[in-house]
Amino acid sequence: MSLVELAGVEVGYHGVPVLPPVQMTIDKGAAIGIVGPNGSGKTTLVRTMLDLLPPVRGTIKFPSGRRPRFGYVPQRASVDVSFPLTAYEVALMGRYGLTKPGRRPGKQDIERTRAALADVGATELSPRPFHALSGGQRQRVLVARALACEPEILVLDEPTTGLDLPSEHSMLMLLRSFATRGIAIVLISHQLGAVADHVEQLVVVAGIEHPVAVGSRAELLTSERLTKIYDRPIAVRSFDEHSVIFVEHDK
Amino acid sequence: MSPSDVPGFWESWFLWRDPLAVAIIAAALCSFVGVYIVLKRIVFVSAAMSQASGVGVAMAFMLCSIVGVDPHHAPLYLHPVPWAILLAAVVAQIFSGNLGNRRLSGESVIGIVYLVAAACVIMILNSPRVTQEAHEVNDLLYGNAVAVPPEQLYIMSAAAIVVAVVHGLFGKEFVFTAFDPEMARTLGLRTKLWSLVLFVTFAVAISVSTRAIGALPVFAFTVIPPAAALIIGSRMWSVFAISIVIGVVSAFIGYYVSFHWSLPTGASMVIVAAAFLAATMPGRFLSKGRR
Repeated sequence: MSLVELAGVEVGYHGVPVLPPVQMTIDKGAAIGIVGPNGSGKTTLVRTMLDLLPPVRGTIKFPSGRRPRFGYVPQRASVDVSFPLTAYEVALMGRYGLTKPGRRPGKQDIERTRAALADVGATELSPRPFHALSGGQRQRVLVARALACEPEILVLDEPTTGLDLPSEHSMLMLLRSFATRGIAIVLISHQLGAVADHVEQLVVVAGIEHPVAVGSRAELLTSERLTKIYDRPIAVRSFDEHSVIFVEHDK
Repeated sequence: MSPSDVPGFWESWFLWRDPLAVAIIAAALCSFVGVYIVLKRIVFVSAAMSQASGVGVAMAFMLCSIVGVDPHHAPLYLHPVPWAILLAAVVAQIFSGNLGNRRLSGESVIGIVYLVAAACVIMILNSPRVTQEAHEVNDLLYGNAVAVPPEQLYIMSAAAIVVAVVHGLFGKEFVFTAFDPEMARTLGLRTKLWSLVLFVTFAVAISVSTRAIGALPVFAFTVIPPAAALIIGSRMWSVFAISIVIGVVSAFIGYYVSFHWSLPTGASMVIVAAAFLAATMPGRFLSKGRR
């Protein structure tokens, strides 16, 4: 079942598109990676889907007749750590959209938040100040906040940036487990190699001059396609069922 | 006047009761909203809003002069307080949007509003229609903190109650919108509305307090107690509580010091608040050590 459909939607700022028209759908339980070089328009595309930016042209359709509930995990650098909030209080914010203005979160909100923290393995972080957590721990709490709103689509902007290799792996494995529960996962990353193994569908964006490529891993993860998109000689190798992607040295 | 000439502080309570009550309420109110102001890194908003409310007061006097109404007995629509709040609210509307952009920073926008408002006040006060009352207007603009009319206490109390009720009801919306507006919007919160309401509470607190105790202590109370509280507080509620306590105690001690040694009242309050901030500094290093 399709949750979101973009048919020829152009995204950008102040009426100026930063990407060619985008054709893509987000299905229930899908795992999608939006990848591309820095500044290529990945975040702009997702911010438009999230209704944080109006589309320059076209409309985003919701086949179910209503906007699905999005859980959004912004880039960690954009979250202000000067607020004296505990990890639990940050995660509880995921319920504020479901709590009427002027009302305090109820028992169900508290239970749902605790369950979300448990889902990401962050129960023991609950009472700790958010600012005192490590990068990986903060990321888990932000994912818990997005999960607490019981999302149909979970959108994560650069979720592995700044994480060490084991933390990056466990974060991606955790996200993959949500897709099996029927939650659609949209991962934005400039690290093509990091996300490629954890998604089924890829959306490769590379600015206004290159068409937005949407397809399966098998279709897009080829040297020819990536070399064309990145305008550099890119090699794709398979190693122990993992994709290894790298820029070839000039010969 | 030497300290020995000053009549006993406690014996002359009837002199300072109302001014001190107003100063304490203003300090509590500004120290409370100041937590958001410091967290949002927009400390000069207070100075700009003080000036904007000053434009409102000056405009009210100007309008009274044009209409031929005695400003001391002006009807509500020409009274300086509603005009001060209105102008500060207009500025709140400007500031509540996405302050600044790539070409013009938020601090620049605040600075421009401050400068334009300050220039407007000077222009209006130098107009022949208001010149005769300029001294009185100046007191209204920048407060006195020593002698306050009884109505000032009622206005200050009403403003504090309104702000407290609004924050009591919508605190979670204000915190979420200030902490992570994008996520809040994604979850369906009307962030522009909540941001506007938050800034209007700043406008009410700052414009009414400026009239009561003056621009300098208001600016100080919106910055210094919250900064001290953020150093030693670890939860939102404790930061609000510590900030209010520091603000209130600073207002009281500042007033006492000013009374006893015949020092400027507003400046005394600021110095006492700064002393509290200095006293919290070791807490900063201790808490760093714990992390």
